[in-house]
Amino acid sequence: MTELNVKPPPNHDAATNRDAANWAQPVDRLSAAGVAGATDDAVTGRRVSGPLQGFGQLWQKTFTVRLDGVDISPTDLIALWKERFPTFWPKGQRFYAPLSGIAPGEVALLEIEPLPGAPVRFSTGVLVLYADDESFTFMSPEGHILSAWITFSARRDGDVTVAQAQALERPSDPFDELAYMLGGNRQNDRFWEATLRNLAAAVGVASPAVDTQVVCIDRNRQWRYWRNVRNSATIRSARRTLTAPLRKLTGRG
Amino acid sequence: MDERQFGAEITEVPEEIRLRLSGDLNGRADEALASAYAQVAALGPRRVSLDFAHVGYINSTGIALVVRLLAQARRDGRAVRAIGLTEHYREIFRITRLSDFMEIVEGDAA
Repeated sequence: MTELNVKPPPNHDAATNRDAANWAQPVDRLSAAGVAGATDDAVTGRRVSGPLQGFGQLWQKTFTVRLDGVDISPTDLIALWKERFPTFWPKGQRFYAPLSGIAPGEVALLEIEPLPGAPVRFSTGVLVLYADDESFTFMSPEGHILSAWITFSARRDGDVTVAQAQALERPSDPFDELAYMLGGNRQNDRFWEATLRNLAAAVGVASPAVDTQVVCIDRNRQWRYWRNVRNSATIRSARRTLTAPLRKLTGRG
Repeated sequence: MDERQFGAEITEVPEEIRLRLSGDLNGRADEALASAYAQVAALGPRRVSLDFAHVGYINSTGIALVVRLLAQARRDGRAVRAIGLTEHYREIFRITRLSDFMEIVEGDAA
């Protein structure tokens, strides 16, 4: 028998319910009814799809930035991050926050520009799976390029507050996996590195340095999920772009 | 919020290895859980049971650690089941679709 730091719990039931309000309520299908401003809703009617439901290799990515010289607590930083989340994204990327803010069970819509100046923008979204004072987590819907969740958190390291984004992600289908291998993986890293730099700069860090740790958790591909391609946001968005002139002519916007 | 230190105890029972978890399962449990799974993997069981009966609190980072462990077990061809979850966390495992990949045993497992 091997034992690691075992400590008996004093009150199991009370403890397990103390976080109930931090989690999304169960839903069979997502609804983006609480979002305004997006031109396309590719989320309503979809189920969530986490890292276990994706096709490609499984990656864990951790991005951290130390807020040296800035007097801000982890809870204040997370409050700011939630409130101004879209403003920290890199230029050209759009995050349509739920009207009631980043809270458990809310859905946000996204429009992602895969490359600067690309003619196609991917329409997708996220479910706010979890939120508390020191962290919040998004989970992707079916059709998202990555079957993933990502947790944004803050903690103290000595006198310094450290902001972190940690993703667990698999490309959702074979085409997404190919795109990921051909540069999407690195592009995704740059996206979150830029986001953390923007966050740090917004609170007053002069020259923020983002540390990136990438680990491949599972090199296998889950071939039984190749059919995820039927929900592909990539294909859906490309089709919408190509048929936009026709929809404009016929008034089906 | 009072935090309770995470622990993991490995026991061998017939046909499986049981990982008895205790304390709070959050980001600070990362190394202990990874180390426990590495020890489990070295024993080479066909099935691992995660016993949550003594876990007080799981946040989303803690669930992510379970996802990672589950992915590693699937990679290794090892079945995973969860026992001792409260109704609240059985619900969370359904929301996050972890229950698609692991048997969730209600009540005490044999």
